[in-house]
Amino acid sequence: MSRDYTRFSLSQRLQHVFMFVPFIILVLTGFPIKFPESEFWSFIMSAAGGIENARIIHRFAAAVMILDFAFHILYVGYNLIKQRPSLADMHLVPNGRDGRNIIENLKYFLFLSDERPRFHKFSYLEKFDYWAVFWGMFIMAGSGIILWFPVLFSKFLPGIVIQIAYIAHSDEAMLALLAIIIWHFYNVHFNPRIWPANKVWYKGTLSEEEMEYEHPLELEEIKAREEASK
Amino acid sequence: MPATIYRHSILVLLLVVLTALSAPAQQADAENCNLCHSLALLGIATPSEGLRSFEVTANAYRHSTHRNVICRDCHTDINVFPHPQEVAKVECYKACHITKPFALTGYSHAEQADAHAISAHGFNSEYSAEKNEAKPDCKYCHSNTFRNVVNDEALQESSQHCVRCHEGEGLAGVILHVSSHSGHRTAEASIDVVELCSSCHADQGHMKQFDVNLTQVGGYERHFHGKALKRGLNEVANCMDCHRNHLNLPAEDPNSSIHPNNIQQTCSANTYCHSDVSSKFAASAIHSEPTTQNNPILFYVEWGFIILTAGTMALLFAHIFLDFGRWVGDIWLRRKEK
Repeated sequence: MSRDYTRFSLSQRLQHVFMFVPFIILVLTGFPIKFPESEFWSFIMSAAGGIENARIIHRFAAAVMILDFAFHILYVGYNLIKQRPSLADMHLVPNGRDGRNIIENLKYFLFLSDERPRFHKFSYLEKFDYWAVFWGMFIMAGSGIILWFPVLFSKFLPGIVIQIAYIAHSDEAMLALLAIIIWHFYNVHFNPRIWPANKVWYKGTLSEEEMEYEHPLELEEIKAREEASK
Repeated sequence: MPATIYRHSILVLLLVVLTALSAPAQQADAENCNLCHSLALLGIATPSEGLRSFEVTANAYRHSTHRNVICRDCHTDINVFPHPQEVAKVECYKACHITKPFALTGYSHAEQADAHAISAHGFNSEYSAEKNEAKPDCKYCHSNTFRNVVNDEALQESSQHCVRCHEGEGLAGVILHVSSHSGHRTAEASIDVVELCSSCHADQGHMKQFDVNLTQVGGYERHFHGKALKRGLNEVANCMDCHRNHLNLPAEDPNSSIHPNNIQQTCSANTYCHSDVSSKFAASAIHSEPTTQNNPILFYVEWGFIILTAGTMALLFAHIFLDFGRWVGDIWLRRKEK
């Protein structure tokens, strides 16, 4: 019998929404300044109401994103304290299995094996996505806040920090945009096995078949647990 | 009755203001020079200079900054008719008949010319004549053509820069100027200032003969000020905001606006700039392109990000490519089996 398995709670799905909506706005209002001579970004800039409006919108969206990230940190911290999970139960922490999965996947890609790696709750691809955003948030929010209040921060930080923040904000933004539109979009949209979209971001659940294909180890563990509690 | 006096005084005041506003502009062509000089064919042909036109395009002149200055105020040695064959070039520091607003002193550009003379752009006795010639004089930056291209929109946006040319005059000076010269096309848009300075400073071949940093314009353009200005944010600093308008001095000169002792004040010189900046903030306002010599930390941070981005994207692309390859390969294999 087919049934659905919860993958993301409502809170987790909303955390994702409050991350990607500001992300899109930040890209649209930030990149026209990174590329001041580009015709394409000129169009976006005028759509945003010119640079003066864009700067205000950019800071508002940034505040929403930072608050979302702060909430996420509290959310993770609360759950760590409340549930006190073992290291094996912290599914986002990279471990030895990820290394083995990478090798298995490469063998599969190169037709050296017909067995796809059996992933647990989070594959190494998904762990990469999570930690890339985690690192990116510190770089982008940290440098962004310094650039927002450069006079204030230079009262106690050396002047070169502002210059570093300027480069970090601009270059990390490029990396984040490329990673999202190429890597993340391939994995959740353009991958022909997924196309047109993985709906888990709003449904929050995966079907039995999807679980079997994408997270067989987790499914196995869920079933074993249910068997044991019977 | 006090009320009547009050009402009368308002009327008188109104009359004075209206009279002042409607006072006809000084007749620039009072001496009727354009009787001849409006003729398109007026000119001479000499073996040395070839054809030289003496036509003054009336429309261009009427819209220039100097539209109220009579011709002979600047062309001072044209006193006889027919005019002498050899006449001196116009010198901007000579006093003309225009008076300063609400003052009776003759107006001249001597103050500006003096500042220019001791600036990096001024005459340097150690330089060859050719090298001195390669530096901008008054007319290089202040050609009427440059003024004329400013449209009214740009003028409005750049009016906040008034204090740049009227430094030290205070608010009263600015108000006097604006009230008496409103409508004059004298303020340039920031983007035009950058374009003007770049006309020499971005020309590597031209600048190589001088001992200056060749990456200044490129450095400005990659900095926030340069990028935001291109996107139309006029409140950001243009070249003159930090380097002054006439007294452009190298950073080593203690009188320079960008000398380490003064740069802190320069950053907060205008109310719309950065207020209450620290010396650390001022020390960050470098706009040259980082190299291993001038700013090694920034140089390596920048390259670190380039390598990080290229490396990450290369790995991600490879993964996508292999993943997609397996999918295509599976279809191909299935077809083969059929």
